[in-house]
Amino acid sequence: MRRYQAVATRTAYVITGATADAEEAAQDGFTKAYFALDRFRAGAPFRPWLLRIVANEAKNRRKAAGRRPTVDLSVAEDRPSGDTALSPEAAALASERRESVLTALRQLREEDRLVIAYRYFFELSEAEMADALGVAKGTVKSRLSRAIARLRQLAAGEVRLDG
Amino acid sequence: MAELDDRELERTLGELGERLAYPRADLWPAVRQRILRGPSRRLWAWPRLAPVAVTLGVILLVVLALSPAGIRIFSLPGVQIFQSKATPSPAPKPTASAALTFGIPTTLDQARREGSGVILAPTDPALGAPDEVYIDGASTLKRVTLVYRSRPGIPVSATVGASALVTEFLGTVDQNVMGKVVGPDTTLEQVTVDGAQGFWLAGAPHQFFYRDAYGNFIQETLRLAENTLIWERNGTIYRLEAQVSKVDALRIAATFR
Repeated sequence: MRRYQAVATRTAYVITGATADAEEAAQDGFTKAYFALDRFRAGAPFRPWLLRIVANEAKNRRKAAGRRPTVDLSVAEDRPSGDTALSPEAAALASERRESVLTALRQLREEDRLVIAYRYFFELSEAEMADALGVAKGTVKSRLSRAIARLRQLAAGEVRLDG
Repeated sequence: MAELDDRELERTLGELGERLAYPRADLWPAVRQRILRGPSRRLWAWPRLAPVAVTLGVILLVVLALSPAGIRIFSLPGVQIFQSKATPSPAPKPTASAALTFGIPTTLDQARREGSGVILAPTDPALGAPDEVYIDGASTLKRVTLVYRSRPGIPVSATVGASALVTEFLGTVDQNVMGKVVGPDTTLEQVTVDGAQGFWLAGAPHQFFYRDAYGNFIQETLRLAENTLIWERNGTIYRLEAQVSKVDALRIAATFR
């Protein structure tokens, strides 16, 4: 279980935006998966199957709590930063870009945030994303493309580029 | 105001993915408690199936109770013990292929990385480092076996030519998770292994049942057919088979690191 713990809690966090809710949802998901293992198709990849269950738990938890459309995703201060290799100006710009994109992410729809997270945060393959999202492989690309387009729209008012 | 280009957006998303304040708590203790409590009502995807499952469970219990292979003689919270009317046939003499049944040869370091559960090894000088390490099983349920071929003062088992075997796999010895069939000449004792619940089996060769991490009921014959100490810690079952006394087994078990 510990092998999948990180990606499960991260998935739940991306959906709920709250640490306590994410932990609860991941626990629910693992427990539910345990008792549903007889329905797990032998030979199928386990990670997307588990993520689908965890994501559903996280969505249900968020829905039940009647949360507002935005989520409170935040950045950890103690995570390693690659910005030390950058000039102060470039590091400041990178930080500003992250803040702008994060602000946009917080406003994105749950489904869009999740597909972006699967691709860019957890680096799932297309096939894994399809399994985890419960859609056809061909749908993954279009869904990701739409999510990125919405993210761009939301971030457009925030992001500035050099020159 | 310009938009980020694709590459820049991808890089920024990658950076964000690394920096988000994800929860870091170890979920296993809480999940384990929930699993041990059993599926809650809302966990039933099809509530109408619940009576069917209960009926099947009752049938299974009745079949086990009436089975000529075993009569239930002992029940503890966390373990169901069945005593065989006859001792199972002795395991075959060791052959070159016997070792293969342990799985794929590996190293202890590799086993610690790939094995399911927390893979430990005894540090007791009576055993020292294992002579061979094997890993076996499906990707999500990998079992690790440590083989100690010949150790001074510990008889070498005729079955697989080893003084001691340590087997580690995901599972639990809590209620309804582990059951055991013991031969008529086997004694069973509940023990505490370094604070963890365990069972000491001494005497004749024996088979046993346990539930793996998926809840499957598994029947298995002990490899050495010697005294055996079984205990569970944090969801991993540890099994030490060796012709040693209970005191020595407990001493060795306390050195698992």
